[in-house]
Amino acid sequence: MNQVTPVVEVQGLHVRFGEVEAVAGVDLKAYPGYSTALLGRNGAGKSTTMRVLAAVVPPTEGEVRVGGIDVRRDPLEIKRRVGYCPDVGGLVPRATPWEHLQLAARMRRIPDWERRARELLERFELGAVAHRVTTGFSHGMGRRLSVILAALHEPDVLLLDEPFDGVDPIGVEATMDVIADARARGACVLVSTHLRELAVEACSSVTVLRGGSRVATLTARDMAGEEGARAYRALLD
Amino acid sequence: MRTGLSSTELPRVLATERRAIADLRYLLRFRAATLSRRRVILLAGLFVVTTLAAIVVPAYLPGAGHPGPGRARDTLILLPTAFAGFQLLSLIAAVASGGGREVVPREQLVAYPVSPTTDHLGALLLAPLNAAWLVQSWALLSAASFGLGPDRFLPASVGVLLWIAVATARAQAVAWAVEGVRRLRHGIGAVRAVAVALGLLAAWLQLTGRLAPLLDNLPTRWFVVGLVDGVNGRWALTLLVGMVMLTTATVVGAVPAHLAAKLAAREENDAESSPHPGRPMPRSDRAMLVRIDRASVWRSVPVRRGLLVLSIGPGVVALAGALTWPQLILLPGLVASGGALLFAVNGWCLDGRGGLWRESLPMQPEVVFAARAWVCAEFLAVASLITVAIGCLRAGVPDLRELTAVVAAFLVVLVQVVAAAMRWSQARPYPVDLRSARATPAPPLAMIAYSSRLAVSTTITSLIFSVLARLGAPEVTVPVAVVMGMWSWLRLRRTGEEWLDARIRARVVTAF
Repeated sequence: MNQVTPVVEVQGLHVRFGEVEAVAGVDLKAYPGYSTALLGRNGAGKSTTMRVLAAVVPPTEGEVRVGGIDVRRDPLEIKRRVGYCPDVGGLVPRATPWEHLQLAARMRRIPDWERRARELLERFELGAVAHRVTTGFSHGMGRRLSVILAALHEPDVLLLDEPFDGVDPIGVEATMDVIADARARGACVLVSTHLRELAVEACSSVTVLRGGSRVATLTARDMAGEEGARAYRALLD
Repeated sequence: MRTGLSSTELPRVLATERRAIADLRYLLRFRAATLSRRRVILLAGLFVVTTLAAIVVPAYLPGAGHPGPGRARDTLILLPTAFAGFQLLSLIAAVASGGGREVVPREQLVAYPVSPTTDHLGALLLAPLNAAWLVQSWALLSAASFGLGPDRFLPASVGVLLWIAVATARAQAVAWAVEGVRRLRHGIGAVRAVAVALGLLAAWLQLTGRLAPLLDNLPTRWFVVGLVDGVNGRWALTLLVGMVMLTTATVVGAVPAHLAAKLAAREENDAESSPHPGRPMPRSDRAMLVRIDRASVWRSVPVRRGLLVLSIGPGVVALAGALTWPQLILLPGLVASGGALLFAVNGWCLDGRGGLWRESLPMQPEVVFAARAWVCAEFLAVASLITVAIGCLRAGVPDLRELTAVVAAFLVVLVQVVAAAMRWSQARPYPVDLRSARATPAPPLAMIAYSSRLAVSTTITSLIFSVLARLGAPEVTVPVAVVMGMWSWLRLRRTGEEWLDARIRARVVTAF
């Protein structure tokens, strides 16, 4: 794997919001065709790291490159290459799923998007509510739509922040399929989650963050089963 | 069959209500904890000083309290109508906001057993945190003081303050009842039908010349008569009756509040479950963004409801009062300010938590900003145009001077309000969802600060153009409009330039 050029390269990333240091020196590499899980407790810096990679939050310090592009220099180009599912909500309350997809398709210049949009909506069982505003959606429905929006344009880098949170088994299965499809076409996938077992199932490697810093990167196999749970627990303490 | 309260039920109900009052104290403390103590003291001080000034200063103005024909006597004659007007405007405000403001937003309290009585009393306490309510109250106090003069204004002011409280409590009680009806099957249609019928009735009274005699014999006259002769038995009786009315309205208001709370919010639920079929892809990025932003505005129940009240209300008042064109010039500023307070002062809240996802799309930030500013402007323009269109029906055909001044005032005020709203939206994004009919785009104290600043700036602008409509030539009005408009335009542009900074956008989109 290390012979391949990484798509995501993060070195010494720091993100500060006033007095609060949300990310305190994260280093990370992620490769095309592989999926990496970001694990850690609440406030470990997973979501902020994802936001930086999506070019939504600028880094305070450090080097961040996505597809070889500096996130500070050309955030717009990074946004074109990345598909991002935010950790909270991520949906415009009074717009319908179809309008969300239309906005994404318009901004990303996706040709023939309607066929793929319909296919994804059906796969995630949201076809019946495609024209209702998202305010009334359950948390799980919102998560599923966020995954669809991130995957619609088949991005080079797929960033899924808590994609399994509150999602039913069919939604989890559909999300796993999206991750597998992305890997199969050579995309780099990063999944941030609290759910170790799903992270192990979805990803090839796991990076554990604690207190805004990376503490370990292991293979998914090392984090599986009872042994993996103990190892994870030890890394969190 | 249900009967009245039994002797065992009454203590239980009283205990529940006592707990509801205690809960209100906790909620107010919770809300106050988020505020700067210095700012609260400053605002409270300003409120007390202005109220005292509104009571005392007019009583010592030249001509105040003069018994003969003149402005003081005219003011006294109009006082019963002003009392009724205050009642009507309080009622419209309370009904439009679905029962009044929330001390803490509904979605934050959903897991807690907060009684509708707490909600009712909280809304009542928050009613004064509204610039329109304050201005009307101060106007009422000033009118009474000016009409009565230095010898009699003080006892009367006590009565006026009591009337303000009575009118607010009664409006609140009626608003809960209307909200309850609105939540019944066909309730929305019924409330709209009654509103239209009342409007037609008012128009018929006006057109047949019956309105003026009706206003001369309003029941508020009894209240005003009891206040004008200083401290005596009649004054004491008036205050006693006022106290009874206030207590009754406050206590009784809790009943419809409880009934409404048991019913689903039909209008909000309809808005959330109605289908919106897909439309063809717009031709440009900007058109796409405008479409999404426009949907976010017009699908919001409090915004839609607010627009109706805000645009039609002043228009009807202008129509009834047969305002002239120079007077009509004041309306666009008033309506645009009110419209901005429905959502535009926290304009990025339209995206809610979707702002984070939107920011991850490859969009030019200047296009995003321009689309949002455009949607705010068109919303305010629609509201102002409706008002002016209704209000001008009896104003006749304007001459060139008046027409120029109206158009100039409309455009300048529009740019002024949009510039201020976009600036505040960027500086202070508040996480609100504008889902409930009672939702406001910012907390109560922020709302009062925004409304005061908008009221001052737009009133000054409107007054300048009102004077120009009477005295100035179009050759003067147009350059004045260009200078004032450019000043606001430059401020809007500066806000737009700041929006290009990724750190500022990140701060805004992560605030929700």
